[in-house]
Amino acid sequence: MKHFVVLNDKSVMVDGVPMQLENQGMAMLNDVYRSKIGDYPKFFKMDALCKVGFVASELLLKAETDGEISQRKAHGTSSRAVLLFNRSGSLNADTKYQATIQEADNFFPSPAIFVYTLPNIVTGEIAIRNLYYGETNFIVLDCMDLHTIAEQIANAFQDSETESMLTGWVDCYDENHFEARMLIINRNEDILNELNKIKQ
Amino acid sequence: MEELILKLKQEIIEALNLEDVKPEDIDENASLFGDGLGLDSIDALELIVLMEKNYGIKLSDPNQGKEIFKSVAVMADYISKNRTK
Repeated sequence: MKHFVVLNDKSVMVDGVPMQLENQGMAMLNDVYRSKIGDYPKFFKMDALCKVGFVASELLLKAETDGEISQRKAHGTSSRAVLLFNRSGSLNADTKYQATIQEADNFFPSPAIFVYTLPNIVTGEIAIRNLYYGETNFIVLDCMDLHTIAEQIANAFQDSETESMLTGWVDCYDENHFEARMLIINRNEDILNELNKIKQ
Repeated sequence: MEELILKLKQEIIEALNLEDVKPEDIDENASLFGDGLGLDSIDALELIVLMEKNYGIKLSDPNQGKEIFKSVAVMADYISKNRTK
């Protein structure tokens, strides 16, 4: 079965099945972390975009391996790439960082925020967590254009090392407006057909 | 000093996003890095910012941090002797 995760600031679905959740926004993601993940304290230091991507990837990979962490780790190595897309880049973290340097008499640049002022930190976090040594990339697009995304995924598979790819759309405007649509695509699959599964 | 230690614990929890950690969970004599609170290098930089922002203490030599950030108690002692605000 092909697994996929679709979540936004109000709901989380794994393989089309909605999770029962009490909160919305970041509080909802924190709840999901505590109830379904819970073994990665660094989660709370992540910016909102990273939290969205991290939670989506964790739920997806748990579904892929029936929740067995050891099994999931076995999927590591350089054969899996992480390729994500969005529209907002790291705008949320950029804005927060700017606020720390906006006023000359209150100029205290935050190192903890600064480290998240690039969207590809998300792909790095996922790769580190899962021991993926393959290509990681984060591409910013005007909109979720599946044809462009499919083209980029196809290009990434030109690398002879890559056998599978954790990919999808991970966008975060702010703590109350975000979405992720994530799946794993294997070499030789019909990429556009697979991407259509996360479109709805 | 007790009051400053409590305030410092609260500021550290907030600045470093130590979710699920309460002031009473932090042993003021325990190491902040390594086996203690498990802080990392980015946290160290954030503590340097905290010292300057909240207490007007500017650490010009990063190596000073190794001594000052040994524990909350050591930090509080340094702050009480060097604070400008």
